[in-house]
Amino acid sequence: MSLQAQIEAYLTRVWGSPAVVTMLSRIPGGASRETYRLDVVSGGETRRLILRRDPPGSLIDTERKIEFEAIRSFHGSGLPAPEAVALEEDGAELERPFFIMGRIDGGKAQSPFSVPPYGEHAETIGEQFYSHLGVIARADVADLPLAKVCETPSADACWKKELDYWEGVIDADEEHPQPIVRACIRRLRANPPPPAQKLSVVHGDYRTGNFMHDGAGKIVALLDWEMAHIGDPLEDLGWAMEPLWCYGETDRVSGMVSKARAIAIWEKASGLKVDPVAFAWWELFASVKGQAIWISSANEYRKGGFKDPVLGLSGWYTARRQDVILAERLAALEALS
Amino acid sequence: MTPTVPELLMGNFLAMMDPPPAESAGDYMQAKVGVTGMISLLCAQEAERGIEARVWENAAIRDLLKAAAGRYGERFAEAAASVDRDFSLAAMDRANAALRRALIDLHIAVEAARDGALDTEIRALYVKMADARRLDLPPMPAS
Repeated sequence: MSLQAQIEAYLTRVWGSPAVVTMLSRIPGGASRETYRLDVVSGGETRRLILRRDPPGSLIDTERKIEFEAIRSFHGSGLPAPEAVALEEDGAELERPFFIMGRIDGGKAQSPFSVPPYGEHAETIGEQFYSHLGVIARADVADLPLAKVCETPSADACWKKELDYWEGVIDADEEHPQPIVRACIRRLRANPPPPAQKLSVVHGDYRTGNFMHDGAGKIVALLDWEMAHIGDPLEDLGWAMEPLWCYGETDRVSGMVSKARAIAIWEKASGLKVDPVAFAWWELFASVKGQAIWISSANEYRKGGFKDPVLGLSGWYTARRQDVILAERLAALEALS
Repeated sequence: MTPTVPELLMGNFLAMMDPPPAESAGDYMQAKVGVTGMISLLCAQEAERGIEARVWENAAIRDLLKAAAGRYGERFAEAAASVDRDFSLAAMDRANAALRRALIDLHIAVEAARDGALDTEIRALYVKMADARRLDLPPMPAS
């Protein structure tokens, strides 16, 4: 049965009326899941949707329920998060786990490899990008659907939970010894950050390329919530400013605004403060997490028979760029005494 | 960093070999072709510079291990005693893996001894190692 027929069978069953799928098209990006754009006509109404289905191999090993509940937590909150429509963890008619969300049209996601990514709209987009992130950090976690499916760590354990997880990924997937990221992990463990000032939703992959803008300076959708969790809000800020996401840029984080301006925008929107010592820890952690993802990509590339070139590129070229960033950050740290 | 040039080029072939289902023939296929093109471009760089980078890195790690052996143990001198005779990428990587493991062990020992001078030297070596293996993607204009 074709994918189109599978989707029609599923939606017809759950909606209780015939559903006809049109314009079904796989779209690039969202490498942790197969992502499809589709229109569905049912009951005289056309719904514009996105299907995210688990692949046989993936860039990131994530729970689709978490992504589903994360977008449900923020849809309708004033942030441009899509609508959560349906979740099937056993795959139902589509045979692999999937979820469906509303589609936000009229925007494009910029590649982190493009130079300059946002042209004349960089400042305007930067204002929204860091303000939206501040709003996510400000949200009261206890009230959100995401809190029901995520572990809530204590404020002083956020860093360890994340570092343990990503070091575990490296331990499991490393195929060639990686002295640089290993040295960074040891530094992070030896110098833990202060406890989180607040437990927040951490988007987990908030960066250039994971939001859509309308080409005229407006962010219209925040995407790729699959690594969402509850933790220290500085984690997201460090990841957003990771140099990997602003190719060729030296003065602007995320290819948008200066680092000082980004922090000021985020502090105003979140009502929180960026402690420089804590943030330095989360910046180095962001580069470690990146390398863990690329090491895992290389492993998945091999396990999948070398068929997914995105995994190959991530596990090779991106990993090497990440090593350059890690080595420079490590070299800039104070000497042992 | 683990995929090798032969694996990546074979992967490019495999990625294009199977006809895509109808729903994957548009934007997705266009992006996939673009990524395989990037991989081919970067493989050309790796073919040109990869051996030189590995010869240099293996020699640099051996020098460091030998110099540190007096203080940190003869096992580091023994790890540095290997000689590169097969200059294929695969053979160089096998030698490199053993040397990198010894370098990790040495760095842990250096940190435990609070040896600031050698720690700084090792971190400087990491910068050079990462730089020697870097691949350069030409800047692409925003769409």
